[in-house]
Amino acid sequence: MEILVCVKRVPDTADAEVALRPDGRGIREEDLAFGINEWDNYAVEEAIRLKEKHGGAVTVATIGPAESEDVLRRCLAMGADDAVMIDEASFRGADPYGIARGLAGLARRKAYDLVLAGALAGDDGYGMTGPVLAGYLGWPHATLVTSIEVEGKKIAVARELEGGLEEILAVELPAVLTIQTGINEPRYVSIMGIRKVRSKDIPVLAPADIGVGAGEVGENANLLRSLGLSTPPAGAEAVMLKGAPAEVAQRILDIVKERGGVA
Amino acid sequence: MAKVFVLVEHRRGSIREATFECVTLARELQTAAGLEPAAVVIGSGVAPFAETLAAYLPETIVVDDPSLEHFRFETYAAVLRDLIERETPLLVIAPHSAFGMELVPRLSAELARPCATDCVAVGMDGGALAATRSVYNGKIDERLAFAPAGGYFATVRAGSYAPADPAGTGAIRAHACPAPPAAWRTEHRGYRETAAGAVDITQAPLLLAIGRGIKDAENIPKAQALADRLGAVLACSRPVVDKKWLGKERQVGTSGRTVKPKVYLALGISGAFQHIAGIKGPGVFIAVNRDPKAPVFRAADFGVVEDMFKIIDALAEKLGAK
Repeated sequence: MEILVCVKRVPDTADAEVALRPDGRGIREEDLAFGINEWDNYAVEEAIRLKEKHGGAVTVATIGPAESEDVLRRCLAMGADDAVMIDEASFRGADPYGIARGLAGLARRKAYDLVLAGALAGDDGYGMTGPVLAGYLGWPHATLVTSIEVEGKKIAVARELEGGLEEILAVELPAVLTIQTGINEPRYVSIMGIRKVRSKDIPVLAPADIGVGAGEVGENANLLRSLGLSTPPAGAEAVMLKGAPAEVAQRILDIVKERGGVA
Repeated sequence: MAKVFVLVEHRRGSIREATFECVTLARELQTAAGLEPAAVVIGSGVAPFAETLAAYLPETIVVDDPSLEHFRFETYAAVLRDLIERETPLLVIAPHSAFGMELVPRLSAELARPCATDCVAVGMDGGALAATRSVYNGKIDERLAFAPAGGYFATVRAGSYAPADPAGTGAIRAHACPAPPAAWRTEHRGYRETAAGAVDITQAPLLLAIGRGIKDAENIPKAQALADRLGAVLACSRPVVDKKWLGKERQVGTSGRTVKPKVYLALGISGAFQHIAGIKGPGVFIAVNRDPKAPVFRAADFGVVEDMFKIIDALAEKLGAK
């Protein structure tokens, strides 16, 4: 099974303070740690597991700045066979449609059976690159996938719905799947493992290599145009309980008792 | 007059709540932009749903065919391509759910009609449609405009609009299901429950919920021990289930359970909207998080900016001293 996995380098903003740049067009990146998008990490792991079970090869790809190489090397250390980067210059500021155009060009270069991507990215969270890519390729797709079983020229996947429910979908190959977190337990990557793939060649493709003409992608070609970023309005804020942990703990216990939560 | 379509989401015999939140947005756009709202119901044997929707919007379009029994991108997209080309709505809105995420972005690419996903607001900005999206884990808002096109799509985050109440009696009209292709490439095989388990977090008066801040599987017994001493049931947010540290039956949120405790005590939970959407009812919500800007403090009644482990230890000490 030939599998292409599309990954993205994103800032970790789950547990960090996020501040706007003075121009309001982006966030201050200096103080943030960057790494592989969490959903993509599960997608890479799933691709490697499929390869281990059914044979074939896993290629990881990204469209992003030069620093994205670290993310690709980490994927190689996990067990991906090849990595490829698309030169970011012409994609700078591209919306998900532009990124999907580039990835579609890349997917057409080889006879892939499966293209995997994270169901969404932890930065802009559109959740649309995968299904839009499927549309450009004309392949069937499934989003929010939580399990994959290969059945010859078909796969059976589970899609996560709401309220603890999943649906089972049979999908013909080739197909595009977007992977939900929790589908597997991604393997640990050691420093030793990354060292081993340090010298592996990662080709950088130009837009022409993937059939994308000048001006077809990038900020000016976008279907979605940013009008700017802002900090969300404060709205109704919580009443803050202040003091030493012991004092705060007592207040919490008082509230629990008052509100009938027992304790 | 230009139209705004609401795609009706239903599953296993009922219309999903998020549909009525989209109805509220469609009514707002009727007022703000003069758009004519219409509901679009696609399915098999969905006449009762159309009657329900007719009490909410001036027009309901029904596409009823046995091939549309279970939602699938392929079958729904074939119907919508045909319907949108004929009726040219200015905007099509749907919930940003497993339904909307599967259906709308790809359809937008195929029809070259731009789509803003996961919107917390859609409105007019200088005479053109604009959307507001919440990005970077809810810490930043982004305003988006659409490149000029024949029409647009938007998927709407759950809880962004209040569900609409019925108002008036609208017209119902049938639209024919287009002829199917020679072969489909996907097939619906059924549903599966994933949150079944011995623990029922939906009935507990006191929930102690832990999130990413728990950091390590080794810390779970500490949280469980505190829950036991408090007389609370231990619950969690998604990252804890993804790491397999607790079972899916303990997950609060859109993909897990909806809970209505008297007290919800959240430790180390940042407050992703998917989690907050699972906490309902009039109970009190206390959140403990190190990050003073964590979105959870916009949802909670009481907040504590502190390391969750310090609060766990302090609570354990107080309870032990009793």
